[in-house]
Amino acid sequence: MQPGPATLPSEPSTLLSRPSTLPPYTSRLLLWSFAVGVIPPLVLIAALVSKSLYLLTFIHVITGGTWTGFDIFMGVVMTRVMRSLDVPARVEVAKRLTPTTFFILPSLAAVAVTAGIYLAQMENKFDLSSPWIIAAIVVVLILTAQGFGIFMPNGVRIFIELAKLKPDVGLIAKLNMRNIRLAGVQALLQILIILIMVHLAVFGTS
Amino acid sequence: MNVNVAALVAVLAFAGVMLAIFGALYVGAARSYGRGELDFEGIRILRWALLGLISIYVLLAVTAFLT
Repeated sequence: MQPGPATLPSEPSTLLSRPSTLPPYTSRLLLWSFAVGVIPPLVLIAALVSKSLYLLTFIHVITGGTWTGFDIFMGVVMTRVMRSLDVPARVEVAKRLTPTTFFILPSLAAVAVTAGIYLAQMENKFDLSSPWIIAAIVVVLILTAQGFGIFMPNGVRIFIELAKLKPDVGLIAKLNMRNIRLAGVQALLQILIILIMVHLAVFGTS
Repeated sequence: MNVNVAALVAVLAFAGVMLAIFGALYVGAARSYGRGELDFEGIRILRWALLGLISIYVLLAVTAFLT
C-alpha cells in the first residue's frame, strides 16, 4: 500500500495532480473484466438474432454453470485459502479479485436469468402457475437480492476504501471475507436452482 | 416492433436496483472526495465502472426487442 501524503489537501482540485493511491493494475483488471463481461450479452444477442435454440440453450447453460461454479469455488475453496492468509495478504487478494470479477459476475447472473426467460418462453415452459417456475423465480430473486444488496456494494466499498489516502485494510479484508462467505450461501441456492432446472428440463413444468 | 415484456421488466429491474445502489455508493464516495479523503482516481474509476455496468444492461435490454 502506498503511503499517503503527510497533510491532506484542502481543495479537492489539488487531488487531480496527486499520484493515484490505487494500484496501477486496478484499471487493467477492470478493463479485462469488462472485456469478458460483455461477451455473454453479445452471444445472447447473436442467439436471438439467429433464432438459434442451440445457441440460446448454450448461453443459458454456460452462464448459469459458470456463475454456479464461481460461487461454489469461492464458498468452498477460496474461503479456506483466505482464512489461511494474514490480513495484509487478504487485502492483496481483494485488491485483485474485486476488479477482476466486477463486471463478469453481474453479467453472468443477468444473462443466465434473461436467457432462461427466453428459453422458457421458446419451449412453452414460462408458466407462472407452475410451482417449479415459481420456485425458480423465488431462488433467482434471492440470489439477485444478495448480489445487488451485498456483493456489488461490498465490491464498490472495497474500491472506495482502496482509493482513500489512508485505506482501512481491516475493513477491506472484512468486506472481502463477507463476500467470499456469502458465495458459499449462494452456492447452496445455486445447487437448489440447478435441481429445479433439471426437473424443468426432464419433467417439464408439472 | 415486438417487445418481450417479461424479459424487459427483468432487465429493467436488474438495472434499476443496480443504479440505485451504485448511485448511493457514488454519492458517499463523492462526499469523501469533497472532504479530501478520497483520491480522484477512485471517482474516475467509479464513473467508468458505472458506465461499464450500464453498457452491459443496455445490451441486455436490446435483447427484449429481438424476440
